[in-house]
Amino acid sequence: MRALHGVSLDIGAGEFVALVGPSGCGKTTLLKILAGFEDQTSGTLEIQGQDMQGVPAAKRPTRMVFQKLALFPHKTVSDNIGFPLKLQKVARAEMDQRISAMLDLMHLKREYLTRYPAQLSGGEQQRVALARALISRPSVLLLDEPMSALDAKLKKSLQAELKKLHRELGTSFVLVTHDLEEAMMLADRICVMRAGEVVQLGTPSDIYYRPANMFVAGFIGETNFLPVSVTRDKDEAKVASPLAGQEAAIIAKDQVSPFLGDTQTALLVRPETIRFVTGAAEPGEWVLSGTVEEYFIKGSSTQYRVRVPGLDKPVVMDLAGSLDLPAKVSDSVRIGFHPARSFLLSE
Amino acid sequence: MRTDSKSWRDPVLVATVAPLAIVMLLFFVIPLVMTAVLSFQTTQFYRLSWTWDLKIWTEVFSKPHYWTIMARTVAMALVCVVICVLIAFPAAYALATRLRAYNAQIQILIIFAFLTDAVLKTFGWILVLDKSGVANWLLAHLGLGPEALNLLFTPTGTMIGMVYGLVVYPLFTIYLSLARIDRDLVLAAYDSGASRLRAFFEVTLPLSRPGLYCGAVLVFVLSLGAFLEPKVLGGGTAPLASELIRQSFETRVNWPLGAALTLVLIVIGALSLALSAAVLLRGSRRAAR
Repeated sequence: MRALHGVSLDIGAGEFVALVGPSGCGKTTLLKILAGFEDQTSGTLEIQGQDMQGVPAAKRPTRMVFQKLALFPHKTVSDNIGFPLKLQKVARAEMDQRISAMLDLMHLKREYLTRYPAQLSGGEQQRVALARALISRPSVLLLDEPMSALDAKLKKSLQAELKKLHRELGTSFVLVTHDLEEAMMLADRICVMRAGEVVQLGTPSDIYYRPANMFVAGFIGETNFLPVSVTRDKDEAKVASPLAGQEAAIIAKDQVSPFLGDTQTALLVRPETIRFVTGAAEPGEWVLSGTVEEYFIKGSSTQYRVRVPGLDKPVVMDLAGSLDLPAKVSDSVRIGFHPARSFLLSE
Repeated sequence: MRTDSKSWRDPVLVATVAPLAIVMLLFFVIPLVMTAVLSFQTTQFYRLSWTWDLKIWTEVFSKPHYWTIMARTVAMALVCVVICVLIAFPAAYALATRLRAYNAQIQILIIFAFLTDAVLKTFGWILVLDKSGVANWLLAHLGLGPEALNLLFTPTGTMIGMVYGLVVYPLFTIYLSLARIDRDLVLAAYDSGASRLRAFFEVTLPLSRPGLYCGAVLVFVLSLGAFLEPKVLGGGTAPLASELIRQSFETRVNWPLGAALTLVLIVIGALSLALSAAVLLRGSRRAAR
């Protein structure tokens, strides 16, 4: 079975690239090929201009942080971090000095040096794993979902540290994650994969605001797809929806996905761009009628789910949080958005 | 772990522990105490007489013959441990890494070998080791044996039988240890720049130590008590401790002597275990530093 096909990816020196996709999309296989644990059956891999065909993992300028960290349970923290240096036969004095520099960089306490990995908390183990991977100053750091096992709060603080670390070190980072939000927070560029293929490669704002298709758009958070009929007019597109019955809207060229197909076309309407319409609609605004199915107070925002007749799924909208709720469950409401500010894509 | 000082009052706990405690008491503690008591008696005209003296113990400590046999037993056990581990480790390693696909089949074969009666297996080796047996036939036909090798009724024959009977224990314990090692740890060693050999010595070997130690202890203890192999394959030419004890009980009908020699063997076994445990613990503590 082929896990990957037609993957072409250039990662610049010092860049932070995230490989994102559902499980089984080949992102981990790609990372293992980069690390040298698996060989590609065809195609070439170059790191710093050198062909990596047949180069074993030990000889590559890559270091990996494993999903389950893979700290050596029988070695102390000091021996774990210093292991790559020990293999390089670095002198003891320099080794100690570099280990303590790593401790400072990772905000680890000095007394941990003599402890075993099992005696540390999850977040501390994470830092030790990072320290072990970074101590030999690799030119590429590979991260295989290293934060998937941590609780939300710890995850957030480690993510921030990882980003800072990347900025300070100038090492290329390749992060594998199934969490597109994490990828958006951290990476310079994101590579969204599905079934062994690259679906889209772009900056976080490209991925969010100009997704290639519904798969990419649906990958981050909750969002709405409004089925529309499309008539192409040169680069622009004219869209209409029988649901709302309003006049057709013109979608500008840069709001149309370059991968737009003929079938299953839809407007991507982000939850934060929808409002309740109480008075008259604004010019160009599309208004749908529905009933409130449920709402969630999230603190800084309030999420509404509005059932619109003719749509399979309720429309999700995020409003700024407020003390007075604009609508209650089973209220009849009108919701509006600007199609011209939405993004046109297809399945 | 927290222990409740009044846990003996818990009826459920008592009820669950009691059967094992009774079995251990009846078949382990009491016989051991009886053996100890017996060693302070003497025999007269093949009859036990209750004397309570140290006559037997003086005999045990004054006759070098007994100690030669004890020393030989320990030496044989140690050699057996080394050979068993040297055979079992590569085999277990292959099972745990390369032969994963045939794992179930191989394990069933090992269990069959394990469950075959020891007497049957030992007598089976006679056919192989005999002067006109399979081993010599093979050697002769391979052009390796100019004259027939005399393996049967030698210490070598005993050793072959002991290793054959005991090698499955370390094979299993080492296999279990190796199979539990996360493959990522080995990959992490490669990733850190280790060669295959280095990764083996830095990661795989230390992490398989519990199985290695456990298997070695089992082989050692069981070979201290080996009786069938020295008799059937060794032909009684170089008797081991168990044969000496059997002779004391059966042939010489000197039960106190047999009991005393039994205790000596138990103490030797326990001391060797304590010593190796201490060495191993110190080793792992040094590795920790």
